Amino acid sequence: MAGPLAGVRVVDFGQYLAGPFGPMILADLGADVVKVEPTRGDAMRAAVVGSFMGCQRGKRSIALDLKRPEGLRLALELVARADVVHHNMTLGTAERLGVGYEQCRAVNPGVVYCNNFMYGATGPLAHLGGLDPLGQAASGLEWEQGPVAAGNPPIWHRYGHGDVAAAMSSVAGVLMALFHRARTGEGQYLWTSIFHASMLYTADSWLSADGTPAPREELDREQMGLAALYRLYETQDGWLQLAAVREEHWLSLCRVLRREDLPGDDRFSTPAARRANRVELTEILQEAFMGDLAVNWRKALLGAGVPAEVSVDTWDGETVLFDGELERLGLVAEYRHPVLGRVRQFGNLISFGATPGRPQKAAPMLGEHTREILTELGYDRDAAEAYRAQGVVSWPGEDYPFEV
Amino acid sequence: MQALEGLRILDLTGGIAGPLGVLQLAEHGADVVKVEPPGGRTDRGAPASRVYNRSRRSITLNLAHSRGRSIFRELCSTADVLVESFAPGTMARFGLDYESLAGDFPRLVYCSVPAWPSGSRFEREPGYEALVHARSGQQWENTAFRRGPMFLRSPVASLGAMFLVPIGIMAALLSREGSGRGQRVEVSLLQGVLSLTTQNWNWTDAGRFSLPKSHPPGIHQASIYECAGGEWIHAATTSGVEARRSEASILGLDEIPRLQILSMEPAERARYDQQKRDAYRRQDRAGLVEAFHEAGLGAEAIVAPHEKFAHPQLRATGSVVEVVDPEAGPTIQLGPTIFLAATPGAVKGPQPAAGAHNEEVFGSLGHGPSEVAAWREEGIV
Repeated sequence: MAGPLAGVRVVDFGQYLAGPFGPMILADLGADVVKVEPTRGDAMRAAVVGSFMGCQRGKRSIALDLKRPEGLRLALELVARADVVHHNMTLGTAERLGVGYEQCRAVNPGVVYCNNFMYGATGPLAHLGGLDPLGQAASGLEWEQGPVAAGNPPIWHRYGHGDVAAAMSSVAGVLMALFHRARTGEGQYLWTSIFHASMLYTADSWLSADGTPAPREELDREQMGLAALYRLYETQDGWLQLAAVREEHWLSLCRVLRREDLPGDDRFSTPAARRANRVELTEILQEAFMGDLAVNWRKALLGAGVPAEVSVDTWDGETVLFDGELERLGLVAEYRHPVLGRVRQFGNLISFGATPGRPQKAAPMLGEHTREILTELGYDRDAAEAYRAQGVVSWPGEDYPFEV
Repeated sequence: MQALEGLRILDLTGGIAGPLGVLQLAEHGADVVKVEPPGGRTDRGAPASRVYNRSRRSITLNLAHSRGRSIFRELCSTADVLVESFAPGTMARFGLDYESLAGDFPRLVYCSVPAWPSGSRFEREPGYEALVHARSGQQWENTAFRRGPMFLRSPVASLGAMFLVPIGIMAALLSREGSGRGQRVEVSLLQGVLSLTTQNWNWTDAGRFSLPKSHPPGIHQASIYECAGGEWIHAATTSGVEARRSEASILGLDEIPRLQILSMEPAERARYDQQKRDAYRRQDRAGLVEAFHEAGLGAEAIVAPHEKFAHPQLRATGSVVEVVDPEAGPTIQLGPTIFLAATPGAVKGPQPAAGAHNEEVFGSLGHGPSEVAAWREEGIV
């Protein structure tokens, strides 16, 4: 696919999610991303099919054994012609394997080299690895969604928030480094981490000089919303999200609910009064919303200029992924996978006016492009077969062992 | 030197995704000029704005005024990037949409951050954060402690888009290096939400592949434990390095092989889990986190957002910074989170007062103080 990063070459040594998702975004943007994968496969490939598919599309996979000298040499040949090297190995691992920053720089002085960590390249915990929940815990995400302050246990978000944050940050960092290199010729080392990137989710939290935290909106114990006029309501048949955030929304809401008495009630007449009497107002509105169906409320409220929406379940995204209009706009992509058949995932996360393509390739099979890439490096069929016989590289055979 | 030195961005955004996305570029060297209506943006007094809108300059300009618009076009001639998050059609009404500017400024990268994708049937529907969650199914992606959808405290759509904004802008700028041309870039909040579904929305002919959904919610929910004093810990336990001690040994429990645990009868497994929960509840959290880290196991205290500033790792990497806000005084905020070794990022200053840089910025366009004063009289700045 042509895209804003067409012509940029990336070598991706990452595994699991926080590493590979970044290079997937680079591939979405048009970069040529070569996934260098151990001959036994990325650990995620066998462990969680969806998570693997979700961070590997658009890449080419070469399966090679970095622990053999010939495997390392091939990897460094790929590095030598790349613009970017990207991975999420723990501190020191890449150096032990022979693909650390200095080793890559020796064959490619201008390389942009990104290591995505759990905790970062420096600091007391730098040596540790870790998973997404540690970022969700340390940033306050789990605490606030409980909400623990209201007496509930914390909640882990089923998104991989920390992984996504780290991957996205690594992409932004790589592009900034490429921009710097385009103007100065200077490559560089950069790092991001699940821990640091997760903190951006609660970047709005700050402290005064005396340690007092800035005021924040609090979720209620029932996990329904942040205010009486900004929360979920149960209706006769389903759930309605109300977002009556402005004064005119509030007045119109009262008219739609046939409760014209409420704006004149001292308990609710000002935003501050409505905040103070959140529980009472919520009870009144909840009772009113039980009087009709969710779609009817939606229609009446939107007609009166009150922001509201039915809360829908998309069945693991199916209704969104088959929305014809989102498909037309490029926000949905479909392609084929040799084992899984048709695959549908989100399409363009960013829309570009001058390069209106969309992702076109599913996650690669293990070593699917080994021969193609060896050819590009100048090795003929006999050489490739010889490497395969020695266990230096592999490609899929009749007995392909993975689901993806 | 910083990576983006010499790059100029005009920032017309409000809310979360635009300002916090642009902040990452500002703190890596871009000169970001916030363009606000006379009197300042209505959301600038919100606590979050002091973080999201720091490290840039502020000018005020009335875009509803024809002279204001012509001054804005002068600014565009000095800019590489324009970012806006108005309701759809607003910039077109001002004659400042991409099509109206691209002719005069072909190198301009124009980034829009609407709630809904432009060109969609719902592009003009209200786009408040929670409405995006509701319509895109996010309130059902995470299970609540009761039946029904769960309201998400975190503005996940805006935050997802926030990560994409600097990526979209930088990709377009890199593309410009080759083509010489800018382009229109769009990141909707809906796309922000999609970025978070990457492990869950994978439809195939062979079935749907998503993380398991359950009560209590989530696969990683199982490793959340209550410690002494009602404090909570997330003991993820896998850390990618060789563990020197096991979780059981730290908790003072018998070592039971993992396979044996997995093959337990339900009642036996429930007893085992209860025993583990009891053991956690007896322990002091701080000591436990330290012991896990010492052993090479993953663990973190589950804290409130403002408690993160005490984390030794955050402090050691210089990510806890003092910012003196003109209104709030000295504050402690989160610093840059992307670490470029040769061109490090840094906080450049607090959220400026609205129009604090009017004379400086307009002066650089050749308009002296007396001219700017006259504009003020006319309500242009």
